[in-house]
Amino acid sequence: MFYGKATDQATLERGECGGAVTAILTSALEQNLVDGALVIKKGESIYDGFPFFATTKEEIAEASGSLHCAPTLSAKVIKNYLNGARDTRIAVTCKPCDARAIIEMAKRNQINLDNVYMVGVNCAGTMPPVPAREMIRQFYEIDPDDVVKEEIAKGKLIVQTKDGEHKEVSVDTLEKAGYGRRKNCQRCEFNIPRMADVACGNWGVIGPDAGKATFIEVRTDKGQKLLDTATSSGALTLTNALPEGVALREKLDGIMIKMARKFKAAQFAKFDGDDKFKKLFAELDRCILCRNCIINCPICYCEECFTKKDYVMPQGALPPEPMFHLTRLMHIGPSCVDCGQCEDGCPAEIPIATITHMVQTDVEKALGYVPGRSMEDPFPLSYWLEVQE
Amino acid sequence: MSQAEATPSTEQKWEPRILTFCCNWCSYAGADGAGTARMQYAPNARVIRVMCSGRINPMFIIKGFLAGADIVMMLGCHFGDCHYLKGNYACNARMTLLKAYLPAIGINPERLYWDQISASEAVRFKETMNMIVKKARELGPIANELDMPAHGARQNKTAQATVEDIW
Repeated sequence: MFYGKATDQATLERGECGGAVTAILTSALEQNLVDGALVIKKGESIYDGFPFFATTKEEIAEASGSLHCAPTLSAKVIKNYLNGARDTRIAVTCKPCDARAIIEMAKRNQINLDNVYMVGVNCAGTMPPVPAREMIRQFYEIDPDDVVKEEIAKGKLIVQTKDGEHKEVSVDTLEKAGYGRRKNCQRCEFNIPRMADVACGNWGVIGPDAGKATFIEVRTDKGQKLLDTATSSGALTLTNALPEGVALREKLDGIMIKMARKFKAAQFAKFDGDDKFKKLFAELDRCILCRNCIINCPICYCEECFTKKDYVMPQGALPPEPMFHLTRLMHIGPSCVDCGQCEDGCPAEIPIATITHMVQTDVEKALGYVPGRSMEDPFPLSYWLEVQE
Repeated sequence: MSQAEATPSTEQKWEPRILTFCCNWCSYAGADGAGTARMQYAPNARVIRVMCSGRINPMFIIKGFLAGADIVMMLGCHFGDCHYLKGNYACNARMTLLKAYLPAIGINPERLYWDQISASEAVRFKETMNMIVKKARELGPIANELDMPAHGARQNKTAQATVEDIW
């Protein structure tokens, strides 16, 4: 575990904390380790983050810095637009849910993991862009367009305006008012992307480098290769992490996990009880069968959808037969990484991500399968078949 | 079978309906054996013959519940006896996953029963059937758990399948 700092002055300034991620991506591209980097780029404003495949050094530099209003998922982008990394070598910056989705898709042969270098970044949650603007106006009493930078630290959402003014409001206050992080981010127990090749972030950086360096943890051989490339080309300087810093990082992670469990219990309580099925379908019956949840889900990958068969459910009936939702939950439930894409895309505002995550939690309790934790965890169905034989 | 259909099934006089998937090579032959030996057992089961228990998609079982089956039984060969070598292992894996999935969507996992009955176990088939019907009576109608009228497809504004179509 190291503290990393970019050597290039411009990268240091543009990057979030030391610019280590930008330095790693740039050197991987320059040393021909990858063909391009899938990054999140700032659009018109800080509320506008979109996935972008950068193939030059300048393009990567443009995308440096963190964005919190980018509820995107890189995994499906790799599959849909980069041919599942079958013929391109890609470095991708990922939140824990991106990394988990990429691993789950790799288990299903949708992404070639050999060609994907995952540069993980800590994530304490993302915010939906439009409500975020409203929130800034209401709680910070400033024009949302004046904000140049936002940061979640110590349970507070800190924004910085054009004039250099800092304003902070606790995330708890925002979330009680219905703003703040997305619902699935509130429930998320994965804040440090330990499943990625390198896990970067600002947690645990203390001492003289505090706020000016990036904490880097190498998780795999591929991660070591990325780091070696960056250091040997002189783009990145490393110092060993202080043990107190490592402990602090663990502590912060622990606090976030505890908070997430509380949110989880509160959000799932709505569906508990003897008439769970009725409670679920009170929500699910708003479905208009637009299939956005299927299109956006990283786990759904069948070419020929089971729910499009006449013998499964009458086609065209609205609301769809329960088979539609139950099939979806059965197919993706055990592997749900709780990325929240289904819920974001739902025009009927059904809490699908909550329901799917609830199914996943129940199945995990019974079978112990944690989706997207590692390629070594075999998927229950195929694993049992092998073990029994 | 005909006896069961003749029984009026209204809410006042509820009779459990057991959907049974039998594998062609073992359990169906076992059921056949029970029939030819004139064994008396509860008439509540509807038997669907499948070529192998590995053929069963878990969603068939869910569909069975939604169509009003109070208990769904999955009967296959003993391990090592599978006509297709490992179909029943696949079935076992799926049933284990399904047992975890059912409570998550609010269906009592007791309503799914998975067992292995060979071609020569006609007596066991009879006993299993009686035991399951007894259990179904204890559990009560599935309509209580799902949002639907007794023995009917879930009420749906434009759903085409009705209880008459299915049973």
